[in-house]
Amino acid sequence: MATAVEKKDDDLLDPGFLSRIEQLEIVSRKIFAGKMRGERRSKRKGESVEFADYRNYVVGDDLRFLDWNIYARLDRLFLKLFLEEEDLHVSLLIDASRSMDWGSPAKLKYAKQIAAALAYIGLSNYDRVSLYGYANGLVAEMAGLRGKRLMARAVDFLRNLPGEGVSNLAAACKQYAVRHPQPGVLLVISDFLEKGGFEQGLRYLLGRNLDLYCVQVLSPDEVNPQLAGDLRLVDVEDDDVAEITVSQALLHRYRQTLRAFCESLREYCTRRGVAYLFTSTDVGFDQVILSYLRQRGLLR
Amino acid sequence: MNFLSGWHIIAYAAAATVPPLVALYFLKLKRREQPIPSTLLWKRAVQDLHVNSPFQRLRRNLLMLLQLLVLLLAAFALGKPILEAQQTHEGTVILMIDQSASMNVREEDGRTRLEIAKQQAGRVIDNMKDGAQAMVIAFSDKAAILSSFDTDRAALKARIDGIEPTESLSTLTEALALAEAHATNLVIDRSEEGGGVLAPDLTSAAGVVLITDGRVQDADQVVSQRFRTENMEIINVARRTDNVGIVAMEARRHYERPGQVEVFAEVRNFGEGPVRNLDVMLYLEGTLESVQTLSQLEPGLVPPAADGEEGAAPAAGGVSRAARQTGPPPGSTAAVTFQNVTFGGGGEIEVRIRIDDALQADNRAWTVIRPPRNTELLMVSEGNLFLDRVMQTLPVRLTRMTPEEYEKADDETLLDGPRSRFDLVMFDRHSTRRLPAGNYFFWGSVPQIEGVEAADPVRNEIFVNWDETHPVLRHVAVENIQVLQWRRLTVPPEATRLIDGETSPVLVYLSREGRQYLISAFSLVAADDETGEPVLNTFWVTQTHFPMFCYNAVQYLAATLATSGQGNVWPGEPMLIPVTGRASKVTVRRPDGRTDTVDTLGSDTVPYAQTRTVGVYRVTPTTPGQERFAVNLFSATESNVAPNEQFALGAEAVAGTKGVQKVQKPLWPYVLLAALALVLLEWIIYNKRVFV
Repeated sequence: MATAVEKKDDDLLDPGFLSRIEQLEIVSRKIFAGKMRGERRSKRKGESVEFADYRNYVVGDDLRFLDWNIYARLDRLFLKLFLEEEDLHVSLLIDASRSMDWGSPAKLKYAKQIAAALAYIGLSNYDRVSLYGYANGLVAEMAGLRGKRLMARAVDFLRNLPGEGVSNLAAACKQYAVRHPQPGVLLVISDFLEKGGFEQGLRYLLGRNLDLYCVQVLSPDEVNPQLAGDLRLVDVEDDDVAEITVSQALLHRYRQTLRAFCESLREYCTRRGVAYLFTSTDVGFDQVILSYLRQRGLLR
Repeated sequence: MNFLSGWHIIAYAAAATVPPLVALYFLKLKRREQPIPSTLLWKRAVQDLHVNSPFQRLRRNLLMLLQLLVLLLAAFALGKPILEAQQTHEGTVILMIDQSASMNVREEDGRTRLEIAKQQAGRVIDNMKDGAQAMVIAFSDKAAILSSFDTDRAALKARIDGIEPTESLSTLTEALALAEAHATNLVIDRSEEGGGVLAPDLTSAAGVVLITDGRVQDADQVVSQRFRTENMEIINVARRTDNVGIVAMEARRHYERPGQVEVFAEVRNFGEGPVRNLDVMLYLEGTLESVQTLSQLEPGLVPPAADGEEGAAPAAGGVSRAARQTGPPPGSTAAVTFQNVTFGGGGEIEVRIRIDDALQADNRAWTVIRPPRNTELLMVSEGNLFLDRVMQTLPVRLTRMTPEEYEKADDETLLDGPRSRFDLVMFDRHSTRRLPAGNYFFWGSVPQIEGVEAADPVRNEIFVNWDETHPVLRHVAVENIQVLQWRRLTVPPEATRLIDGETSPVLVYLSREGRQYLISAFSLVAADDETGEPVLNTFWVTQTHFPMFCYNAVQYLAATLATSGQGNVWPGEPMLIPVTGRASKVTVRRPDGRTDTVDTLGSDTVPYAQTRTVGVYRVTPTTPGQERFAVNLFSATESNVAPNEQFALGAEAVAGTKGVQKVQKPLWPYVLLAALALVLLEWIIYNKRVFV
């Protein structure tokens, strides 16, 4: 499977990286704590299953789960109960608005790379992986992928996800919450530069028993703008205009504003148990996967 | 603060540049479009910046304000602002700069007066309004136009810087005449170019700036015909007063012992304070011979109000200078006499005073004395007992000839080369045209040369005027001389009248073409009207001062008994160098070591005028005894270096500016520098964007 992915889309992930992340798994910090961990670990080991309990056989039960040893001793049919194979729902909500399709490399591609990596990890572990692209609401969706062999589809989906439209996190989150009531892990990968504010959107997600991760992706040009002169700044999403004359003071003020904005997002997330991760596109996305997200406890 | 260009230039410049700049700023700024992911943060940043920055509007326009300021400063600089514009000259300025000996005085700041005068002249040039033209004249005993009317300040200044010091006396007449002549020429030229439009008379409007120390000999005699008194300005650069100078010197051989010399020098203190223990030294051919010490010289400078010092009477145009010179204050002059100095050969005699005073040129005086020898005197007479007797008493070698013998004598007898063999030829009642270069004394007759005639005898007249200061009449009591008759003389105007009768001159000195004539209209013996017998024409011959007169005349004309043949030559005074043999060139070596070569052009004398420094000049080749001549300052006017507070020109007083003309510093370079600094600041602000 890995080679297939590699052939189909070497843009997003390279095989060396895949082999490194194959050993990782997505961990949910709160939803199935103490219940699913054993099973998911046993599933990785193949056929052996974790024993849970016995119950009397009733007609229609799968004979494969009868405990023949007990039947030999007691001459009664007992059925071995195993923990139900409930898989982890991993949702990746990718901001596919036009503002993400900006920078070098584009923030959107960077977000796709992260998403692809996480999807691969999830699929490798038979998690149920759902991919969503949003702009002014959810614009693309590929839900319920499971198993590595579907990695190619996931990559196709990501590659075909266009960066256009105005970003509206609130609408997207609302739609997601309605369509996807299951608990699970949700990563929102966005720049969070929402004219309407990011709080409204995140609020829809907070009550859903989700293990929520916010990954803020900005380009270096946004962190340290290389602008000079008298400029008419045009917002690529809504054609909003800001006329500025670039000066040291203004640049300084911009950086202050950016810092304050990121800080407010971080604080908002922290206060609500949401993991927050800031990254810039000049940081390698593999580093984000292998280092940052592991530090945040999403990956193990 | 004043403006050389005027306000209108500033106004024009500002009007031409400021509105376009403002218009440029008012035009909509063309901003470059720049797509960005989100304007969210930028809008917040701009908003924050505006909220947090007071005077934001002002700061946004800071660049424009700076540029406006730069433009205004540049326009201001175009107006050529100057500081302390005490006086500016419009139109025409005539600068007359004194370069005489007294201008060599080194003032307290170490600069000579001439250097200060040059600086002042430079300031006058700087202060001229644009388009004004100036002429530069440097004067001492002569005047020279260094630059005719010119508007080029740099050229004018270069000419002024080129003025060299001299040790000459200063006279103003020639300088003023030159200035008037040139100003007049300018008027004519202008009117021709103007196509019939008569240009204004520049001379009446011209400003005359005279930069001097106030020691000008003919200041009271100068009357300008054309320049207006109110347009004349005198900048007096003199400060220092202390000076001691030798104002007279003479050396003569002892009458009886020709190997001994008597040297006389007059030393005068011109300063405010007394001078003590002044050493007066005598050098013979450069070797110190004797020293005399003057114990004290009283101050020679007296308050102007109390004394009639030279130039002290502004309205004294009609009063003769002799009358105004009441003489130096008592005790300020001292006569030094070195007696019985053994000096057998001829050569330089120098008197030197040892003092560090303002003027150096008058601290040394030279004279050149010939080796003792008897004067060769030729007496051409039918026989004159009185003259014979007197001449026998003089140390002369006397040769007698009758007029017939003289006229018939061959050239070898009379001539030595082109010149007369005799130092002096005395004609008693004989008129002749045989006059080779030499010295002649005519008694009762005249040389047959142009302009000199003797007419009928004049009787019963008396002497009305005589120049008792002339060396020939020294110690001669002219008032006691009575002469029965003399011939009515007609002499050329350049002749010096030593004695004047009621209607005609009686004793005349004339120097012409290397010949000196002393012409006496009367003879000692005249023919009696009735009998025709020779009778005594004057009883002077019986008086004691008649031999004195003869001695003076021989000495003055032959000049072998006393100093060199030239007597003293004043700096700048031209002199005639006698040429010996057939020399085609004469070389003169100046005291400073420079040499001049003068072409004789076949003449028996050559004029030489490069006598602008004091000292001994050496001539080769020349007649024996004429190899050296001395140039001395000997001027109370030049030696009196003290500032002449009451200096005035002619009868109309032109007050001199007491102080030195104020510095009129041009401000425009500083204004431009400030503008440049502002441009730099604007550039920095633009690049740093500190506020905008």
